Amino acid sequence: METPAYQVQTDFFEGPLDLLLHLIRKNKLNINEIRLSEITSEYLAYLENKKGINPSRESDFLTTAATLIYIKSRSLLPKPESLTEESPEKQLLNTLIEYEKIQKISKMLQDMEYTERLLWRRLELNENFSNREYTLTEVSAFQLAEIFFSVVKKKENEQFLYVSSKNYSIAAKQVEISVLVKENGFLDFSAYVNKLDSIEEILVSFFTLLEMIKRHLLIALQESLFGTISLYPNEPSELSN
Amino acid sequence: MSHEQIALIEAILFVSKDPLEPGRIMDFLQITDMEEFEKILQTMGKEHLLDRPERGLLLKKSGGGLQLVTKPELHDSLKDFFTIKQVTKLTLASLETLSIVAYRQPATLAEISDLRGVNSTETVKNLLQKKLIKITGRKKVPGLPALYATTQEFLIYFGLNDMSELPSLEELTELFEEKEQPSLFK
Repeated sequence: METPAYQVQTDFFEGPLDLLLHLIRKNKLNINEIRLSEITSEYLAYLENKKGINPSRESDFLTTAATLIYIKSRSLLPKPESLTEESPEKQLLNTLIEYEKIQKISKMLQDMEYTERLLWRRLELNENFSNREYTLTEVSAFQLAEIFFSVVKKKENEQFLYVSSKNYSIAAKQVEISVLVKENGFLDFSAYVNKLDSIEEILVSFFTLLEMIKRHLLIALQESLFGTISLYPNEPSELSN
Repeated sequence: MSHEQIALIEAILFVSKDPLEPGRIMDFLQITDMEEFEKILQTMGKEHLLDRPERGLLLKKSGGGLQLVTKPELHDSLKDFFTIKQVTKLTLASLETLSIVAYRQPATLAEISDLRGVNSTETVKNLLQKKLIKITGRKKVPGLPALYATTQEFLIYFGLNDMSELPSLEELTELFEEKEQPSLFK
């Protein structure tokens, strides 16, 4: 888990690159000439004392620590004559140079945000600035499956009055779902599955939905976390706005 | 240009919650000359709002649309009146992620995480929910990762009209170098 968006964190380094840049600046080193092995021990000391290390991102810091140690160990070994591939040190330094730019752009955006936040707009007071529109996020197959299993669980406890011998086919289901989506503009996933009579039909419906999503005929969207999942026709014009 | 036109534009903008496309207002007022319309906006924004200390509003163009906003010097008083303790701001993680998306779009989650050196899944999710970024498609590589780009909301949030108002990467490097020069001679 990362820091939630509303939390202001100043005591922590944003990540391993932030810490490395801090060490480079602290030691008044030039990023273009620095040898990373010079600051490796200092980096490790920070990690050991957990100074400024966000515990939830410790793994990211450790990954870079491993890279630093690898770089240092390589520097102790005799070098092969020609280096065809880019050395890990060069790679990490390039990332650092790029990251320095990102930090500066972030600072610029922060200044812009500050000036903009002084100007109030209509609706500013509506609890949350971002709540102005429905935020529809695309749903993963896992979330879809999760809901599917919860529905099946519910159905398992139900007593079916009679055994129907109807056979369901994916092709027929696809036609049925297409018609429903076309009529209403969308399809509420849980409501639809809840209405079905038998486990067999639910299974076939679910496979059909997965197939249709895979073939980009439908798109599964969710209004909010834990919100209902709706299926919309996948039209590029609607997606692009 | 008439006072009625300015009054009507002001009323329309007052009622509208989102920035309005200038073209829509022009059509409605049956103004075809862009220059004439700009002149009306100029008069309205400057003479009727900005230059008048007794007015609390400004005419602003953001995300390519027109909008009435409050004057910046009133910010603190508004905060007091509506008892708002903290104005929500984006975290550094969010700003870093936005920087990457803005300058490299479309960008994948893996690219963002690589550049930041930090797993950025949560931040990207957050920004998607805030509508500051959107999924524009899928990269044609194994796994078909989602490609992210900035949105109209992004422009409005940062007071931009279009992406070209952000300094280019070359301009940025120059800007930074200029700023940093003095420290080199220390």
